[in-house]
Amino acid sequence: MGSRRYLLSKCLQAVVTLWFVLTFNFFLFRVLPGDPIGLLARSEHFTPEDVARLRHDQGLDLPMAEQYVVYLKDIATGNLGESLRTGIPVNELIGSRMRPTVLLVGLGTILASWLGVLIGIRGGWRRGSRFDTTSQYSSLVLYAMPEGWLGMLLLLFFSGWLHWFPAGGYASADETGVAYLVDLLDHLFLPLLTLTLGYIGGYAIVMRSSMIDTINEDFVHTARAKGVPDRLVRRKHVVPNAFLPSFTLIILSFGFVLGGAIVIETVYSWPGLGLLTYNAINTKDYPVIQGVFLIASAAVILANLVADITYGYLDPRIKQA
Amino acid sequence: MRSRTRSVLATTAGLLIAVMMASAAYAQSATSAASSGGDDVVLRVGVIADLDTDNVFAVSAGSDYTVATSEYDMMLSFSSTDLTAAPGLATGCDHNGSYTTWTCHIRPDLKWSDGQPLTSEDIAFTYRLVIDNNIPQYKAYFPSDPTFETPDPTTLIWKAKAPTFAPSMPPWVYIVPEHIWAPYDGKDLKTIRSVSQTPGVGSGPFILSSWTPGQSFVMTRNPNYWGPTPTLDRIEYSVYTNQEAMIQALKNGEIDAVDGLQPSLINSVQNTPNIALQKVVSDWWLNLAFNFGGQAGSTYTPLPALHDLTVRKAIETAIDKQAIVQKVYQGAATTGDTIVRPASSYWHLDIPSDKEFPYSPSDANQLLDQAGYADTNNDGIREDPKTGQPLEMRIPASTDTTGAEEAGELIVGYLKQIGIKVDLLPATDAKMNDYWGSGNFDAYIWYWSGDPDPNYQLFVFTSDQCGAWSDGCWQDSHFDNLYEEQHVEMNQTKRQQLVKEAQQYEYDQVPGVVLAYPNWLEAYRTDRFTGWVGQPGPDGYLLPTYNYDTWLSLKPIGETSSGGSSGIPGWIWLVAAVVVVGIVVVVMRRGRKIEPDEA
Repeated sequence: MGSRRYLLSKCLQAVVTLWFVLTFNFFLFRVLPGDPIGLLARSEHFTPEDVARLRHDQGLDLPMAEQYVVYLKDIATGNLGESLRTGIPVNELIGSRMRPTVLLVGLGTILASWLGVLIGIRGGWRRGSRFDTTSQYSSLVLYAMPEGWLGMLLLLFFSGWLHWFPAGGYASADETGVAYLVDLLDHLFLPLLTLTLGYIGGYAIVMRSSMIDTINEDFVHTARAKGVPDRLVRRKHVVPNAFLPSFTLIILSFGFVLGGAIVIETVYSWPGLGLLTYNAINTKDYPVIQGVFLIASAAVILANLVADITYGYLDPRIKQA
Repeated sequence: MRSRTRSVLATTAGLLIAVMMASAAYAQSATSAASSGGDDVVLRVGVIADLDTDNVFAVSAGSDYTVATSEYDMMLSFSSTDLTAAPGLATGCDHNGSYTTWTCHIRPDLKWSDGQPLTSEDIAFTYRLVIDNNIPQYKAYFPSDPTFETPDPTTLIWKAKAPTFAPSMPPWVYIVPEHIWAPYDGKDLKTIRSVSQTPGVGSGPFILSSWTPGQSFVMTRNPNYWGPTPTLDRIEYSVYTNQEAMIQALKNGEIDAVDGLQPSLINSVQNTPNIALQKVVSDWWLNLAFNFGGQAGSTYTPLPALHDLTVRKAIETAIDKQAIVQKVYQGAATTGDTIVRPASSYWHLDIPSDKEFPYSPSDANQLLDQAGYADTNNDGIREDPKTGQPLEMRIPASTDTTGAEEAGELIVGYLKQIGIKVDLLPATDAKMNDYWGSGNFDAYIWYWSGDPDPNYQLFVFTSDQCGAWSDGCWQDSHFDNLYEEQHVEMNQTKRQQLVKEAQQYEYDQVPGVVLAYPNWLEAYRTDRFTGWVGQPGPDGYLLPTYNYDTWLSLKPIGETSSGGSSGIPGWIWLVAAVVVVGIVVVVMRRGRKIEPDEA
């Protein structure tokens, strides 16, 4: 019963948050300065009548409240509208950009969290060792390093100087089958390396501190006093408890995957959702911005929900609280 | 300590290196495969501007026009020499003496890329579709309510209610196939603009065969093209969002040409072996436009002193345009003078040196002193003698226009020298649109561009355009008259004189300052293809903008398809292989040592 109530309350919170995000997105982009249609029509031969016609076609001449109702109705039916700039349905645009983003950011998050947690475990367990010192400083440097700068450095080194990898883009348009996959990997390598290096520090630092905190807990001393071998103390007692903060971080990071990696995608011309967002904001393409923000927000809210629920099961104290 | 973590870390590191090796291994083969494209001759172009639409009725940005110009013909094209009318689908058009009826001669036996015949009826259909459906981009090309008759497949008769030179401007309208577009005739504009045309059906030498938004688009040779067969089989465009990466790709040989470089990157390509830089003669200009007020609904009162020609002349005189060219555009621009850009060489007036306002802060100060604009309170800012109002200006500058914000920063300094304070407001184009629409500015820095024919560019400076396209509601009846005179003048030589007179008059009246004509920048590898055709002239665009002549004359140099990133050298492979094997051996040995402990 307690579990069901916990589950229900978390789901309800998620729905309310989603509604808030939807509403916030709608009003935020409309109160910001700049008229998207005027911008679109700043080209020769568009008369004020043409601009009014375009505004009417997009429903932007309706009162704000009416636009809001239409917006909610459309979203409820899965219609995210069409890009003001290109006329392409937003669903289609987001769909086409999702794969590159999931591939890059998803894979980057998996690699970075996996390696980061492993480094954190080892560093925290052997606090003060050479490995710990080296990994701690490296993690801090990587964590503090702007992704765009790291990306440019790697690009100039591997592509500009060594000529090992292409300077950007996705797979070549005229490839198919294995050749396509090969080409894709070739293009993926540098952005993936940048993203993994950029994210790894955060996971390592969190896991290391958590390990150090847990090592000093009474139950760890008890286990040691009982003569449990060090390796088992670490694996069975320390790591499972120390992993909880990292677990939350990882789950939430997966929620952010659909937000894309704007800077890295821009540096490497990687056609993902981050780049789509960046371009849409620049051109005030409301339907696209709203669509991307909706997907990204929903993913974060869902990840949060998953984290909350899983956390409840991993640590029963939370469910009872 | 023997630790499983160490084993896992080592294995992971080994795997990462293996992935890197595999990926890099692919690099060489993949790149060579990609650049060879089998036996096809492929040109690879890097662009910053993604294709926004494959629909000619929705074109708005650079790459849209590049694709449309390659895929579709116009009835008359633009000459590569001076952008005047040249044969397109029609070999020419003759007028009836009173310029009300034009007879255009369409080439015989034309075909669309899908094999259907292309006749004068397709041209008439396209023109009617534009007029009947009020297509914003194109409808202004059809003044005086024209009608179109097609007595036979090779003749189009254009009848207008008043004399017009519109058919010979020529109209920048891409001719579309009636058999594809007829179902959309009469639909609302949104429907017409959202029709997707990939793969397209056109009459030009290359047809858009695939398009992945944000990544790439490919144009494939049209087997039914009416002109000479191009050597190229395919043109592949890659979209780059990072200019440095695009330059790197050009240097690596991953691409053969790039379009739309930033001036700050000129040094990265200049003096680079096998790479040539094309500074394209400008077809746009950076503009400091004054606001004279009067926009409907505006609550802002622009600086009244701007109505005084002396103040405007002083501002023009105080601005060092040469410094803007050098500092902002790294020399990739020419100093600005008139509102008809130099690319339209037939119409552009180069202001004679004796009629120019040469840069001279001291002259500017003298002009203001003589007119009574003195700094009465010694705060460094002059006051208007009539109102006592200090000469302070709000100047928004477009951050989306190359060089506008930087030029603005220089202008702040120039005007400070003559006692005018500037509050520079950098703004995106969306925000600039708000300033412009609301009239909430004293001057702004933005750009203008237009057709090769100067009619539209002059039109936007006429009094009636206040509230429509006018920058700051400059209203001058003499300029209006000059515009009207050139608009109805059918004799081209006389019209040219009137257009130049209008330019000189506008320059003298200083409703704004044409700061610079920035070059468009293209770069290409000189070891891949030869036969680039500039439009207009050798300093013009090499990639299709006004016409597709480049596509017809490009020829590969030797083996076209070498290049691409060269991949990882052999010795690195060897070292990497040894490292991976070493890691695996270490991990396995540790694994064996750990086993007894775990038992």
